[in-house]
Amino acid sequence: MAYHNALPSDHDLGLHDKLRNMPWGFVFLVILISSFGVTLLYSAGGANWEPWAGKQLFRMIPGLFLMLGLAMVDIRFWFKHSYMIYGVLLALLAAVAIIGHIGMGAQRWINFGGLFVLQPSEHMKVALALALAHYFHNLSYEEIGNPLRLLIPAGMVLLPVGLILIQPNLGTATLTALFSATVFFLAGVRWWVFASIGVGVPFVAMAAWNHLHAYQKARLTTFLDPEKDPLGAGYNIIQSKIALGSGGLFGKGFGMGTQSQLNFLPEKHTDFIFVVLAEEMGLIGAALLLMLFFILIVYGYVISLHSRHQFGRLLGLGLTTTMFLYLLTNVAMVTGLIPVVGIPLPLISYGGSVMLAFYIACGLLLSIAIHKDASFGRNNLD
Amino acid sequence: MSFFGSLFGFFNAKPNASNRAPAFPQYPSNSGWNTTPHGRSLAAALPALEKARGRLVIIGALFLLLYMYIVYGLFDTMIFNTDAEAKNAAPPPEAAIATRGDIVDRNGELLATSLQMASLAADPALVIDANDMIKKLKTVFPDLNGADILKELNSKKRFIWIKRNLPPKQQDAVNALGIPGLSFEPEEKRLYPKGALTAHIIGYNSIDHVGIAGLEKTFDGFLTKKNQSLQLALDIRLQSILRDALAEGIKTFNAIGGAGVIMDAHNGEILSMVSLPDFDPNEVAKANDNQRFNRASLGIYEMGSTFKTFTLAQALDRGAISVSSSFDCTKPISIGRFKINDFHPMHRWLNVPEIFLHSSNIGAVQIVEKIGINAQRDFLGKLGLLKQAPLEIPEVGKPMIPVNWQEISMMTVSYGHGISVNAVQLTSAAASVLNGGTLVTPTLIKRDPAIPLPQTRVVSPITSDQMRQLYRVVVTAGTGKSANVPGYVVGGKTGTADKQSGKGYKKDARLSSFLAAFPMNDPKYVVFIMIDEPKGTKESYGFATGGWVAAPTVGRVISQIAPLLGISPVDDNDDSITETLRLPVAVKGE
Repeated sequence: MAYHNALPSDHDLGLHDKLRNMPWGFVFLVILISSFGVTLLYSAGGANWEPWAGKQLFRMIPGLFLMLGLAMVDIRFWFKHSYMIYGVLLALLAAVAIIGHIGMGAQRWINFGGLFVLQPSEHMKVALALALAHYFHNLSYEEIGNPLRLLIPAGMVLLPVGLILIQPNLGTATLTALFSATVFFLAGVRWWVFASIGVGVPFVAMAAWNHLHAYQKARLTTFLDPEKDPLGAGYNIIQSKIALGSGGLFGKGFGMGTQSQLNFLPEKHTDFIFVVLAEEMGLIGAALLLMLFFILIVYGYVISLHSRHQFGRLLGLGLTTTMFLYLLTNVAMVTGLIPVVGIPLPLISYGGSVMLAFYIACGLLLSIAIHKDASFGRNNLD
Repeated sequence: MSFFGSLFGFFNAKPNASNRAPAFPQYPSNSGWNTTPHGRSLAAALPALEKARGRLVIIGALFLLLYMYIVYGLFDTMIFNTDAEAKNAAPPPEAAIATRGDIVDRNGELLATSLQMASLAADPALVIDANDMIKKLKTVFPDLNGADILKELNSKKRFIWIKRNLPPKQQDAVNALGIPGLSFEPEEKRLYPKGALTAHIIGYNSIDHVGIAGLEKTFDGFLTKKNQSLQLALDIRLQSILRDALAEGIKTFNAIGGAGVIMDAHNGEILSMVSLPDFDPNEVAKANDNQRFNRASLGIYEMGSTFKTFTLAQALDRGAISVSSSFDCTKPISIGRFKINDFHPMHRWLNVPEIFLHSSNIGAVQIVEKIGINAQRDFLGKLGLLKQAPLEIPEVGKPMIPVNWQEISMMTVSYGHGISVNAVQLTSAAASVLNGGTLVTPTLIKRDPAIPLPQTRVVSPITSDQMRQLYRVVVTAGTGKSANVPGYVVGGKTGTADKQSGKGYKKDARLSSFLAAFPMNDPKYVVFIMIDEPKGTKESYGFATGGWVAAPTVGRVISQIAPLLGISPVDDNDDSITETLRLPVAVKGE
């Protein structure tokens, strides 16, 4: 075992040490998966750099450098500023609800003077992971057992989830809640808390349901079950299944997928990009991508477990879990196992804001790996 | 590797008595005595760690299960192709079998298919409380028209429809209501996955599954025989390319519509047939008459100068003229009270290729005079231009031909006026002239290569060669330059016809078209595009003629479809090609 693992942690690591500690395998995986994405967008654009692949590549390269840059930043910097970052994102999320740019029928974006469009809900997950990791870092196991101690982190979760829910974006809100629950669980929150939430939520939901107007109920049921109408909202999924089925084992060949090339597949460059892959490269291609992701995620968990501090461990677990949940939801959605909820495929789907969020998450994971031995004061850091 | 090593180290660690978070205590800054990087920190681990370790195993197992589930889902959809609709469904009350066959394109792409669904019906005599029933049903169908159903429930009928074509989940929800008097009737729903793209060809059914338009109507009997699927000559990739290009052309020139056909020059298979505007056959009720009107087959039009193809081919074939003959095109021809003029008058003598490439009406009229009325009519009849095209859909227009075919009709018909035909028969007639001279019958259904085609000669191979030369020169030196695609030796003829309204011709309402074939040294495919009432743009210097409007669209289509059709690009200046297409006379182009 290399001696550098036992470096004095109170001293800052030099650039050389940081580069040596960098898990290059992880970096390589991120580049590989991102390139996979650009290739698919090239095909989805009709074997053309326009309109998606070129722009995605243009974003991918600075994104990768940003990731590496973030990796170099001392993990204690993120610890120190986690609440502030969370606060800024929460404010942005609230701003979306008020002045947000209206796109796709739901308010999800902020347009910064036409320069770039930010989807705070995508970045909120990273900020929330930071804030939750910070909070639980400072708590002992006994303190976690005290339900009153959970009020603050519960609020930290519920505020953004509520704001995302009213956008409305049920998919992202659900995933944010799920990943938060995972962090709570891993931090050591007692079983009975989860049990009572599991029992309580249906009652609350039922009570709320009885107070809704008929039209509100109708809206909710359509929202929850878009397959009600196979030619309306269910159209996506039928087209998606036809494409998947026609892919077979080896696919139709790069750029040859009829379903995806002929514009029958809505959102083929964003949420349904996996279908393009499955149609053109078949089960083999789909399995290859899933395998790459699987390695990336296992890698992410290993990085988290390797961290000597609770902050890095929980942050890493939270971020990796988010990525995993996105992957699971997206693939389950396009294969029709769950309703269409509008969740992109991490690092692959077209879209600047989402992509940036995942590069930031990967950058933080790298930072955790590099600064795994960083020393934190107990409760006296801030 | 060290990461995986630490993973195991983590799981093997023993907790100790300390109970403060963080789970991993501080790493000592002075660690000279430490043998492994993990040893001490793990030895000093906490109950939280013990817990967390157990919890990670739980979460990890859960995630792994989910992961395996989606991989299973992927296998299921991609390899076993289980119908997920059917899988999610509550078992249908009676075994419903999809009885209508699929329609697929020449490569097996699904164009029409049937899904099993249930429709909800009621027997009013068995309904106990109609108001209560409607109230309950509204929880499942919020948009249900209660008043109408109540009226029907109070009638003496023993069978009324409540809602047709329920998805499985709604069926399940209605079942759960447990209302007596309701029943499910197994039904199927016809689905057209390619939507508007194939609407004009495939047509649609009534809600009672009887074909009422397009191939669905013609092949109603065939498709309803169990498991019979119908394979078309259509190639959905070409259809998509043609439709996109046509739509762009219509948009650019602010036209009211358009049509296009791509045909195999030798066997008449229609690889693509588009009419715009079109409609979504999944929602026929939303389509208006203009959208439902098939401009490619039901619409008949005076095609204009593309008809000169047949005049020249016949005259050459009969030996009435040779390619080097020339005619006096200095001034308009007067007949009775009519005057025949050229769109771009050249005011000089023109030889045959020049008449074709400058599209001279004056020249065409002088040529047809060497043929005669009866011979002209016979020849056009032989090409299938005087009777309804034998196409497999019901929407086929009957040509309008001169009632009294006299000299004046002969003259106007020679340049495509006074006779209206549909796009498909024009395309197949041109294919017959250019493919070596064998008659081609258009078809939407894929031909069985084992069945030999009848060989009816319409012109000699020599005439066909000469026509190929004339077609090529239009693109290299004439009105069709913008249809040229390097490497694919495109040839063609422009057509610009004024549209009729009542007895006269509309001012500024034209049908601009381009009839092309490629590769011209041995034509394999014929492409025809027409754009209805285009308006000139700044880019076209105000022109809205076939050369400006339709030719560039044809060029765009050929450049995209030729690679898909497996035609290798060649060197346009290759000796063997230029030699085949060389004209025996000097030609002054545009």
